[in-house]
Amino acid sequence: MKQVSSSWCVRPLLWTMLAFMAPVSWAAHPPLFPTTVANHPTIAAQQTTPQNAAKAGDSGGAQVVMKAMSFQPAALNVRAGETVVFRNEDIFAHTVTADDGSFDSGLIQPGESWKITMPKTASLAYHCRPHPNMKAKLVEQAEPASAGKQAASQGLPGFNPPSKPQEFHPILVNFTAALLPLAFLSDLLGRFFKRASLNNAAAWMVLYAAAITPLTGIAGWWWKSTLHGSLPPEIIAVHQWLGTAMVLVLIALAAWRWKIQKRGKAPGASYLIVTAIAVLALIYQGSLGGLMVFGK
Amino acid sequence: MNVRSMVASAAVASLLVVGSLAQTKKGGEGAKPTDPQIVGVVTAANQIDIAQAKLALKKTKNDQVKQFAQQMIDDHTKLQNSVNELGKKLGVTPAPSDISKSLKTAAAAQTKKLQGLSGKAFDKEYIDHEVAYHQQVLDAAGNVLIPNAQNAELKSAVQGAAPLLQGHLDHAKQIQSSLGGGSSSGSH
Repeated sequence: MKQVSSSWCVRPLLWTMLAFMAPVSWAAHPPLFPTTVANHPTIAAQQTTPQNAAKAGDSGGAQVVMKAMSFQPAALNVRAGETVVFRNEDIFAHTVTADDGSFDSGLIQPGESWKITMPKTASLAYHCRPHPNMKAKLVEQAEPASAGKQAASQGLPGFNPPSKPQEFHPILVNFTAALLPLAFLSDLLGRFFKRASLNNAAAWMVLYAAAITPLTGIAGWWWKSTLHGSLPPEIIAVHQWLGTAMVLVLIALAAWRWKIQKRGKAPGASYLIVTAIAVLALIYQGSLGGLMVFGK
Repeated sequence: MNVRSMVASAAVASLLVVGSLAQTKKGGEGAKPTDPQIVGVVTAANQIDIAQAKLALKKTKNDQVKQFAQQMIDDHTKLQNSVNELGKKLGVTPAPSDISKSLKTAAAAQTKKLQGLSGKAFDKEYIDHEVAYHQQVLDAAGNVLIPNAQNAELKSAVQGAAPLLQGHLDHAKQIQSSLGGGSSSGSH
């Protein structure tokens, strides 16, 4: 008898949870596949007017100038397939040599220039062979449409362990995005159905979220630091500080939740309201992150 | 002659020159080079490096060293051209100083030493000395030349040359480590 009643309770619980999770996970991680992307006219329309098209009109294409013993700019955002022109305006001959050996311009004399087509790599560090203190890099600008097409045409991409900052943040953010709403939901249902196990689970989930989210924040700041100001300033300003605030809020929430847990009670309305606000902030935060990664 | 003794001798040589630079800094007249003397030091430093690179081009059979020597000739010739132009523009004629004299004395000894060497021993000595030499000139530029330059344009020109010297230093160090890895057999 008891078995039956509990499965009666659990099934709608699961459905509610899934329904609740969908918007959160979408906000944090909009789907990659082109068919789904095409269903969102706002995103699809934005792709046809890439940021660099405007830039190309202004300054005549992506360009790096060698001047006063340096590459300027030190980091240039380029889309894969775009041509980058390196112009030597220095009085000395320089080379553009990939750190990984994938290309080498040979000596470019003063007044001469050299071109390369941006390959499909996240970041391409290069230097001048005769003057190894001249270092710079090309950073690939995310292009959602081609990334999606590639994934679709080549089947499932292989697993690559994360090594770059742009890979850690999106992975870690899933934990934060999942744990907090689930903790809130679990507490809510625990209170509604008067099940202590759900409340216990919620207390642990908030604790996990508080422990993991600082890492998410660090990975985010790290990622930002590698992009050298190429992110839309008004979005990243909100995203970085809201994210940092969320780290502190989650730690405070975990402390509060465990104070309640120690007293052996289910959390009251005030805790649930604060957590609900935190969940809404998290959804907004995820949507900002998605906006920067998948297009404006 | 093994690798260590060569590195050590290069280090000692550079210490001696740096020491003499430090002395000229203390000793009355040479303490503060004038603008013509600063132009004289830069000119001497360029000429010395070009002369040794020309010697290296004649003697070395190593492609890496050859390329480096050619680069020293090209870069320092261009640097010297810009110094000449600036001197003409500012009406400054290069003048000798204790620093330029000590650079020249050390260079003469080094050239003599290089002439007596060949093959890998030559490459090693040339590159080791290029590392020490560029470090030494870089130090002289930062500690003596730049602080004492009176004309703002001359000052910024010397400041602008520092990254070039740093580039040469880094390049020479790269070759130094690749030579060190390749010639560990050490037999005659």
